[in-house]
Amino acid sequence: MSNKAFLLGDRAVYIAFIVIVLGLPLLVDDVFWLNRVARYLVFGMLGIAMALSWGYAGILNLGQGLFFGVGAYMVAMSLKLQSWTSMQQGSDTPVPDFMLWNAQPGAPTDLCCIVPGSWLWIPFQAQWFGIFMAIALPVVLALIIGATIFRLRVSGVYVAIITLALVLLTRLIFIDAQPITNGFNGLTDLGWLTVGGIEFDPLMVGTYYIVAVSVCIVLLLTRWLVSTRAGLILQSTRDDANRARYLGYDVASYQIFFFTVSAAIAGFAGLLFVIVSEFATPTYFDIAFSISMVVWAAVGGRSSLIGAAIGAILINTIEATVSESEMFQQAWRLIIGVLFVLIVLYMPRGLAGLARDLLARLVALGRGKQADSAKASRNPAE
Amino acid sequence: MKAALTIDALEVNFGGFKAVDGMTSVIDDGELRVILGPNGAGKTTLMDLVSGKTASTGGKVHLFGRDITNWPEHEIARAGIGRKFQIPSIFRELSVLQNLEVAVSQEPRVFRNLRLGIPTADRKRIDEVIDLTGLEPVLETVAGDLSHGQMQWLELGMLITQQSRVILLDEPTAGMTQGETSKTADIIMRLKGSHTIIVVEHDMAFVRKIAEKVTVMHMGKLLAEGPIKSIEADPAVREAYLGTGGLH
Ligand SMILES: Nc1ncnc2c1ncn2[C@@H]1O[C@H](COP(=O)(O)OP(=O)(O)O)[C@@H](O)[C@H]1O
Ligand SMILES: [Mg+2]
Repeated sequence: MSNKAFLLGDRAVYIAFIVIVLGLPLLVDDVFWLNRVARYLVFGMLGIAMALSWGYAGILNLGQGLFFGVGAYMVAMSLKLQSWTSMQQGSDTPVPDFMLWNAQPGAPTDLCCIVPGSWLWIPFQAQWFGIFMAIALPVVLALIIGATIFRLRVSGVYVAIITLALVLLTRLIFIDAQPITNGFNGLTDLGWLTVGGIEFDPLMVGTYYIVAVSVCIVLLLTRWLVSTRAGLILQSTRDDANRARYLGYDVASYQIFFFTVSAAIAGFAGLLFVIVSEFATPTYFDIAFSISMVVWAAVGGRSSLIGAAIGAILINTIEATVSESEMFQQAWRLIIGVLFVLIVLYMPRGLAGLARDLLARLVALGRGKQADSAKASRNPAE
Repeated sequence: MKAALTIDALEVNFGGFKAVDGMTSVIDDGELRVILGPNGAGKTTLMDLVSGKTASTGGKVHLFGRDITNWPEHEIARAGIGRKFQIPSIFRELSVLQNLEVAVSQEPRVFRNLRLGIPTADRKRIDEVIDLTGLEPVLETVAGDLSHGQMQWLELGMLITQQSRVILLDEPTAGMTQGETSKTADIIMRLKGSHTIIVVEHDMAFVRKIAEKVTVMHMGKLLAEGPIKSIEADPAVREAYLGTGGLH
């Protein structure tokens, strides 16, 4: 079989991806451009998370933005408290500017009680707490959601509907808690991530590397995860959950585990996105954003982790290029919508599938030539 | 002889209709038991009750003396019961080899399975099953692309790799050609002794080839039980099959 060729081709794509992502700053010194690439790499990470849950687990999560958004808000709260404006509100401890605008006259300028619920912000004065929560809270939420729906054996389109409803609910909560979340406007004017005295300006090459290295690590870790026996068993539950049960596997525990890993990756992506973009807004909880992630994975190939990552990066690059022209900006959504339908119907394995088919054809071609030359060299002897 | 599976007054009530109604039977360790009965007799439902797919509303199931009545499916499977479905149930997007690799693991927990590769002992068992089922030429094939017969053998092979002590087979030769049926009979004969096997089957030629003791079900109840010869001569059995074409 041509399995070996696929393995080699696969490995080559991974190596090329990692080399390009890590080598980019050596070729380009436009920091604005690098910052833009860093954002797309974060979306690539979301593509990986989507491929893991949709492609490998068969769980179509239409509310992945929930975990991304929660991760983003958690770290944004810490960075908000580190911003210059928060330090300048005339109190000993930092207080976000928007809380003052919302405060009742006479309320003390302190996180304890400036507005109802502002005490929730107190631990976020430690940057590490925000970073920790950016992953921990998505994990806890995913465990609760996953345990509920998978123990009840909810599957297929119902999972999509429930996750969709949950991300909308979260959006409502974040907008509604305006005094402590700044509502529609979200958290802007953030400070920079500071590690060991180094401030990570979003336009610094070092900041690009935080994202680039993170994406590579997540890619390799998820790759390892799906190659383990647990990853294989997960794929078996996707194909036939009952068969897996009658082989002795508690299907729900596999679904919960991988759903949670996917959520943790999304939360991590949210964290990174805030570091490079310096804001967190409720648009992360928009349905359109969560559905975009599904489109990225579909285009790149939902059953290929790296395919989904490349799909996300590619679509966002094209979108950014296209949106510079007013006319195309309007048409873009339509184009993406049509593309999505076509791919789901006619190319369910996306770009990754296309690449594999090409490779298979090349291998076959090579074989044919070899056979021909073998024949040619044998013939004279006969 | 030691009892492998004890079905004791088992019953299920589907809103007033009892598909299995006080069924009782004891299957010995290492036995090959054939279950016969006209369509709708409750044979598939009996397997559903034993394997945990359907919860019973009365009676007990014991596996090697252990009460497994109404346990969750995966726990019944871990306790030692393997089940083959009437419609082949395999992992269609995985290769044949991967199907067997999923089946072979004796470790059900997620975290314990976060490791690469298959232990040597498991690999050996997979090889044995490949030998037994003759799936060698299609190991890398995606299971969904197999022929109907190959799918049935793969599913059977998975139960053997799983090391189920008791194997339930629901019409394993349904839809098979004569050649495929005879190969299936060979596989089942080779399992005899090392596994306890319970087969539901309609094909009487096949039954005569493999059967020792036969259980006949009718309207959810035990109708007759004994060696195939005496069953075929039993007037009650003939009566039950009247109008359905009879045993043939
Ligand atoms: N979940 C169910 N609800 C109601 N009736 C059922 C259900 N499952 C099976 N039955 C009925 O139970 C009877 C026995 O079915 P089954 O066990 O499939 O018979 P067999 O396998 O012996 O042909 C049939 O009349 C069938 O319609
Ligand atoms: Mg049946």
